Amino acid sequence: MNLSLLIFFSLGMFLIGIIGVLTKRNALVFFLSIELMLNASNLLFVIFSRQWGNQIGLAWVFFVLVVAAAEAAVGLAILINLFRTKQVVDIDQYNNLRG
Amino acid sequence: MTLLAYSIEWFLGILLITSSLGVILAHKPVHASLFFLLSLMTLALTYLELSAEFIGLMQILVYAGAILVLFMFVIVLFQDAYSQISQFPSNSSFILLFFAGSAITFTMIILGILLNGFKAHNAALPDGYGSVESLGRFLYVDFFFPFEAVVLLFLIASVGALYIGKRKE
Repeated sequence: MNLSLLIFFSLGMFLIGIIGVLTKRNALVFFLSIELMLNASNLLFVIFSRQWGNQIGLAWVFFVLVVAAAEAAVGLAILINLFRTKQVVDIDQYNNLRG
Repeated sequence: MTLLAYSIEWFLGILLITSSLGVILAHKPVHASLFFLLSLMTLALTYLELSAEFIGLMQILVYAGAILVLFMFVIVLFQDAYSQISQFPSNSSFILLFFAGSAITFTMIILGILLNGFKAHNAALPDGYGSVESLGRFLYVDFFFPFEAVVLLFLIASVGALYIGKRKE
């Protein structure tokens, strides 16, 4: 196993997620980019867990998975509520908190 | 060392990067979520390759089975709303976005170069590494309190999602 190669690919995936969060205006794709970043960090956890032969990393990946599921449920509920009130999915139009 | 020596890593990695690029480059949200499904499956394969069986299975069950289906339902609810995005002018400055993106890219490249000398340790894996049994023992014995806290968090999250999603009379 060449782990450093996989670390590079994980970095690339995280980078793509950040660029997606910065540039996408569709709220759903914005959300998917956040999930991409979560997955990249999960991959890093598994790689280093394998590197040291220690299972604590795998336990943390399990927790990250559960929290990601909870985050998706709450986030999508908020998104549906926002869409109901504003009728747009463009995140530039969601400026209620700025008054 | 020939290029073919790490063909599995190259294959998985290139598939991972192209499908992640597809997520942010696809025009329709449905296509983006299908690309996301592809990257999730590739990740699950990578976990299996790294001998983390339980996590690979969980990846498919939780992400592809639950989260992505939720996304699909929300996309169905929004339908063609994504096509009206081009009607509004963008609020963010393009130059600032460009600077932020190039700064992050630069940082990532520096980090990658620093990681170049990383040596695989290839420690001998303990018996049953990554299996359901050993990870379950880990979660229920060593990580018992965080595990129960996560259960409580999940309960609160599902109740909160129901409350937020409810139509106000």
